[in-house]
Amino acid sequence: MATKGAPVNDPMIDPITGEYVVVAPGHTFKSVTETISRIVLTPHTPLGWYAGFALAGGVATVLLVAVLYLFLTGVGIWGITIPIAWGFAIINFVWWIGIGHAGTLISAILLLFKQGWRNSINRFAEAMTIFAVVCAGMFPLIHVGRPWLGYWLFPYPNTMNVWPQFRSPLLWDVFAVSTYATISVVFWYIGMIPDLGTLRDRSKSKFGQFIYGMFAMGWRGSVRHWVRYETASLLLAGLATPLVLSVHTVISFDFAVALLPGWHTTIFPPYFVAGAVYSGFAMVITLAVPIRKFYHLEDLITLRHLDNMAKVMLTTGLIVAYGYAMEVFMAYCYSASHWEYFMMWNRMFGPMGWAYWVLITCNIALPQFMWFRYVRTSIPLMFLMSLIVNTGMWFERFVIVVTSLYRDYLPSSWGTYRATTWDYATFVGTLGLFTFLFFLFVRFLPMIPMSEIRMMLPQAKVQPESGNVVEAGH
Amino acid sequence: MNTRSGNESKDMAKDNAKNGLTLSEVRAKLAGQSGRKYWRSIDELAGTPEFEAALSREFPEQSSEWIDPVSRRGFMKMMGASMALAGLAGCTKQPDEPIYPYVKAPEDLVLGKPVYFATAFPFPTGAVPLLVKSDAYRPVKVDGNPEHPYNRGGSDPLTQGTLLGLYDPDRSQHIFYRGEAKSWADFQASFRSVLAGKKASGGEGVYFLSDTVTSPTLAAQWKKAQAIYPQAKFYQYDPVNRDSAYAASKAAFGDYTDAQYKLDAADVIVSLDADFLSGAAHPGFHRLAKDYAKRRRLENAKSGDFSMNRLYAVECMTTTTGLKAEHRLALRSSDIPAFAAALAAAVGAGSAASGYTWSDDAQKFLASVAKDLKASGGKCVVIPGEQQPASVHLAAIAINEALGNNGKTVVYTETVNPMPSIQGDDLKSLVADMNAGKVDWLVILNANPVYAAPADLQFEDALSKVKTSVHLGSHFDETGHVVQWHINNAHYLESWSDARSYDGTASVVQPMIDPLYGGHSSHQIIQAMLDDPETSAYAAVRATWKDKSAAKGTDADFGWRKILHDGWIADTAFAPKTGGAKATVPTPAAQVSADTLEIVFRPEAHTYDGRFANIGWLQEIPRPVTNLSWDNAALMSYATLEKLKVAEHDVIEISLNGKKVLAPVLAVPGHADGSITLHLGQGRQLAGRVGSGIGFNAYQIRPSATPLVATGATVRKTGDTWGFAVTKSHYTDHRSVAVGGDGSGTHSIEGNEAIDRGIVRYATLEEFKKSPEFAHEGEGHQTPEPTTTMFPAYRYDHNAWGMSIDMNACVGCNACVASCYAENNIAVVGKHQVTMGRVMQWLRIDTYYEGDLAAPRAHFQPMACQHCENAPCEQVCPVGATVHTPEGLNTMVYNRCVGTRYCSNNCPYKVRRFNFLLYSDYETESLKLMRNPDVTVRSRGVMEKCSYCVQRINAAKIEADKENREIRDDEIVTACQQACPTEAIIFGNINDGTSRVSKLKRQERSYGVLADIDTRPRTTYVAEVLNINQELAAARGEFAPENS
Repeated sequence: MATKGAPVNDPMIDPITGEYVVVAPGHTFKSVTETISRIVLTPHTPLGWYAGFALAGGVATVLLVAVLYLFLTGVGIWGITIPIAWGFAIINFVWWIGIGHAGTLISAILLLFKQGWRNSINRFAEAMTIFAVVCAGMFPLIHVGRPWLGYWLFPYPNTMNVWPQFRSPLLWDVFAVSTYATISVVFWYIGMIPDLGTLRDRSKSKFGQFIYGMFAMGWRGSVRHWVRYETASLLLAGLATPLVLSVHTVISFDFAVALLPGWHTTIFPPYFVAGAVYSGFAMVITLAVPIRKFYHLEDLITLRHLDNMAKVMLTTGLIVAYGYAMEVFMAYCYSASHWEYFMMWNRMFGPMGWAYWVLITCNIALPQFMWFRYVRTSIPLMFLMSLIVNTGMWFERFVIVVTSLYRDYLPSSWGTYRATTWDYATFVGTLGLFTFLFFLFVRFLPMIPMSEIRMMLPQAKVQPESGNVVEAGH
Repeated sequence: MNTRSGNESKDMAKDNAKNGLTLSEVRAKLAGQSGRKYWRSIDELAGTPEFEAALSREFPEQSSEWIDPVSRRGFMKMMGASMALAGLAGCTKQPDEPIYPYVKAPEDLVLGKPVYFATAFPFPTGAVPLLVKSDAYRPVKVDGNPEHPYNRGGSDPLTQGTLLGLYDPDRSQHIFYRGEAKSWADFQASFRSVLAGKKASGGEGVYFLSDTVTSPTLAAQWKKAQAIYPQAKFYQYDPVNRDSAYAASKAAFGDYTDAQYKLDAADVIVSLDADFLSGAAHPGFHRLAKDYAKRRRLENAKSGDFSMNRLYAVECMTTTTGLKAEHRLALRSSDIPAFAAALAAAVGAGSAASGYTWSDDAQKFLASVAKDLKASGGKCVVIPGEQQPASVHLAAIAINEALGNNGKTVVYTETVNPMPSIQGDDLKSLVADMNAGKVDWLVILNANPVYAAPADLQFEDALSKVKTSVHLGSHFDETGHVVQWHINNAHYLESWSDARSYDGTASVVQPMIDPLYGGHSSHQIIQAMLDDPETSAYAAVRATWKDKSAAKGTDADFGWRKILHDGWIADTAFAPKTGGAKATVPTPAAQVSADTLEIVFRPEAHTYDGRFANIGWLQEIPRPVTNLSWDNAALMSYATLEKLKVAEHDVIEISLNGKKVLAPVLAVPGHADGSITLHLGQGRQLAGRVGSGIGFNAYQIRPSATPLVATGATVRKTGDTWGFAVTKSHYTDHRSVAVGGDGSGTHSIEGNEAIDRGIVRYATLEEFKKSPEFAHEGEGHQTPEPTTTMFPAYRYDHNAWGMSIDMNACVGCNACVASCYAENNIAVVGKHQVTMGRVMQWLRIDTYYEGDLAAPRAHFQPMACQHCENAPCEQVCPVGATVHTPEGLNTMVYNRCVGTRYCSNNCPYKVRRFNFLLYSDYETESLKLMRNPDVTVRSRGVMEKCSYCVQRINAAKIEADKENREIRDDEIVTACQQACPTEAIIFGNINDGTSRVSKLKRQERSYGVLADIDTRPRTTYVAEVLNINQELAAARGEFAPENS
């Protein structure tokens, strides 16, 4: 890639490819293990962690209060109404699920494509997936009018012989999201076993040894273990790969199957998936930037990662832009449908048109700066970019859900949407919950896979000259 | 000692060993031992084999059973039974005393089977004959009497609302004297002792102030009382009254008369601000609306019968009547008398006012109307507005006389009010007497003058000069609080009375239920003046109609029973007065300058004069035209809005003759410029939990001299704003022609879209004649073939329910909506929730304004669940809570609904309603009695919607099954259909080709709303046809081809 203008003697740049290195030079197996496991095993938890943890916990408590009040009172505490019967809850659901997608993409698809650079970020990206799914999965449950009957969406045997209604995309959601959550958790856990073994071995406290030992499930690092481990990882990656595509496709069916103008479109599945990956990578950057700074992991999460992720975002962002363009094309030029035409006009220029232009600005216009290598390798700019894209993707769901619903077929039933304090509290609360879980994760689990980083070191490669085969295990 | 006791123990142990030792026996042995002895005894016991054995058994008594399998089973049985018994004990238990089951039910009570009684709702403009559904002795639904010659089953929102009025939890429940609870006997004694003292003076100083009387019995009772107390005075005052009509008729006929219009005979109808299609506030609404609609059905258009009437309306505030009119002219209310005079002059019935300048448009309108009227003499009618001054009524009488309409399209009869008077004058003289200290006893009957009297009369101050004041009222209201005696009134559904309808037919008001709170009626109070004070209202009413209730053979009660059964008294309709009118149209006052602001006072569509303010249904159901709920507003045109430099939602201070009121501003399409309409009946302080503090009180600035229209008001912007609960958004369309708009910026975007989308389809009569299929021509007006879906079509072997709504007949009066609320236990959610868009109405009247909002045309479209064959809601419900029945109903299963609201999102008609919070009132006891027992009261988190009144369908099916026959065509009547005064809604079996609904659906004009997206709605609409005056339309540029 572009090497022009890059300093020649920068040790962070691979002299052969001209790209930033994935792992900074000078690391040994020991130093990698040290760097990563120290964060978990240190007896001195940094004060900053406590502060952040308390803050995130506090915000998560807001969610607790919001949901408690919701259960006591009803979904009427939110701004939803007729005709906009879905609001923040569904917007947040789709947003969170989308965010989760990057983790799966990184851990599964990039694994299959042998993208080694993914190793540094895949663990916490996967954690992000799981926590995002936790946040997302909550919404369909709490947004229903009678959440205590939510289990009726599951096809469980019952004396009344009543089944769910299989034509409904909401039911497909149940399967899609529950499968996704299961696979993600299993994949994440399996991938962590060698590292848990390392932690068990390095832990000084009895308790740590016991807990990590239990979850390491007797990992000894034998060749047989490694073979099984690699096979399992590949199989799970194979299972998870279609999920990256299918989950958000199914989610998009919630809209695409409905007959509402603005929802009823075949372009939704691909553009939802691209959007999901787009927002997911943005969230990975949002998380990676402060973490690498705080825990001094600049050697392991390098500019190469930022650069690559920026490129993925640029690509998916363009796919999403194509989706928007197609919507406009279909509405104005191709469909000859009055409904589509009016929906699009109203989406752009109606009373809530501002949301559409926020979306276009955040999702299409501003991210084009990522064409510049300077932007891609500037940490503050990329952090800003990730926030912009996250905002844009939230507004994408807002535009889809709200601006399609508020002026639909019968002009007499047109309405308007205004979110309430409880809407915001619930949304902010999930951000808190997500961060809260993430704080627990970085403190108690290895956020970067040590075994995989070690394997990426030059030492891990077979060196026939010396005749010594260095095993990556220890 | 030690040894002895040890031996004793051993002996005992040996004795016990034969049967084994149980712990209780051990305990018994140890009883009485204490201290060291006790412990030694244990020591001695311990170690014995018997004791060991006893210890080894945990439950010595039964433990052996655990080893025996049979006994274990027995034990399980026992446990099971005792669990069941424990469960039973948890339930409510019957009383200890012996009770006996309901083996023999009362003759007229079958639980779950309602009984219907005929009665009448007494209303100032004439009684509404009713058929009341009573379930287990509770009236649960009020509807028009389908056999009554006056309304033929139609009703109106106010009538529907009276049901909630009966069960209003805020009704006054006691008699109070200066805040102390008293009994009726106390009052009677006090009243009679005062009267006894005044017998000599002829009852001087005893005054009554009643609401409008329509009861012949009350009039008869008063006549008797008057004979004894000739000096006692009985005044009537309703803030919305018929003074203009009475004054005009007195001038024209020499006596008070009522005009009855025969719209079924009229080809041309001209309304001079007469809002005869909006509701019961206009006398004869039910009949007039029905007759009006009857002439607009075009049912025989196929055979070339295109006859239909034509309506012209001149009005100030936009009303449904004006919006239904083919041609409408917005005029300031103060200009209408002169317009009426000019019209009279134009048809040769008087001389026009001089000094008036009319706009071009008004001149064209006047010329065309006059021409049309003259061309159809004897087949036309001019109706004057109730809220217009007497001169308009005189003009109308003169015009109708000149055109030969008298006796044909209008007849003059006795008044419905047996004691007609000019109520405004009555009130003034009463207040004068009060201020002069002449009033010793003032008995206020069902009126609320402290709230509703014109402010300048200062009624409350005058009341303080009255020695003893009495108030009979349903609520402990504004008046009730300041009088000395407050007597709780019995609701009309609780008490005996009688009343006359518009056509004069008298009905007996028979009670449906014992007074819930032991109320009293006007009859009792007047009767208390007579020598036989204990004569009941029942006896008094029977006595009044003695002649009309003849015995049949030996059956002395036959005639009376027939009256009660039928709901009216035969041959009591008024006979038309013979002889012509001698009306001279008075010269109108000089024209008020265009810069002078006029204030028009009108009754509120749903709270009327304020008496219905505490009825939640009526407060919540959006008013016709404005779609405003839970408020009243300063209503004005967009141009006036600009001229006054105010915006919608601004709070303005209106000053009139030194009186001031704060009112929020709302623009009304089509309102006359330079005029502000204020609706009376809001701003109550003590209406109850629902009506108190809603809106503003327009009586505060209402002058007693000009209670209808007052000029010279000034307006000041306060800077505050006020949020309205308007159920329909209204945006002006600023889109250019290129993007689908009209480029004007003065049209309603909803209206433009409704026309473009084929939601509203209409044609002029000429266009209809040319292309009868107009409703199916053009883009988006086609209905896709049934084969375009991949889902197999449903088969309906037996019944298939469907509905047809005639947009030509719908007058947007809201009767159907109110009826739906009553029938289906629909919750009232309150202003805040309505503002958010969460009103629960299953049926709404969509009003689309077409064209320039300064002079719009409107289309009323009742919209409820369309029961689509291809129902989008059914497909997306994840739990199958909304399903298709074998008869084609789209049914909500409340029990199954988890509340995802996906169905609502996917409903193109947005007719589904969601219980976002717990809206239904589960607490208030009196409301529990009111609920329709056949309809679930929905809880929080559940979707609901129109069910086509499935409870009524099922009731009819059960009846038909019992009689082993098919359901008859007219057997199932939905609640909306039942209430509709114009029969715009027809329901029935569309599989039956002979049914009325299937005939209507076969009309060329029948179309489905949004049928082009292939939802295949079961409800279809009959497109409007307007019988326009081509000449006037051409002159005004209306109905140009591009608009229609």
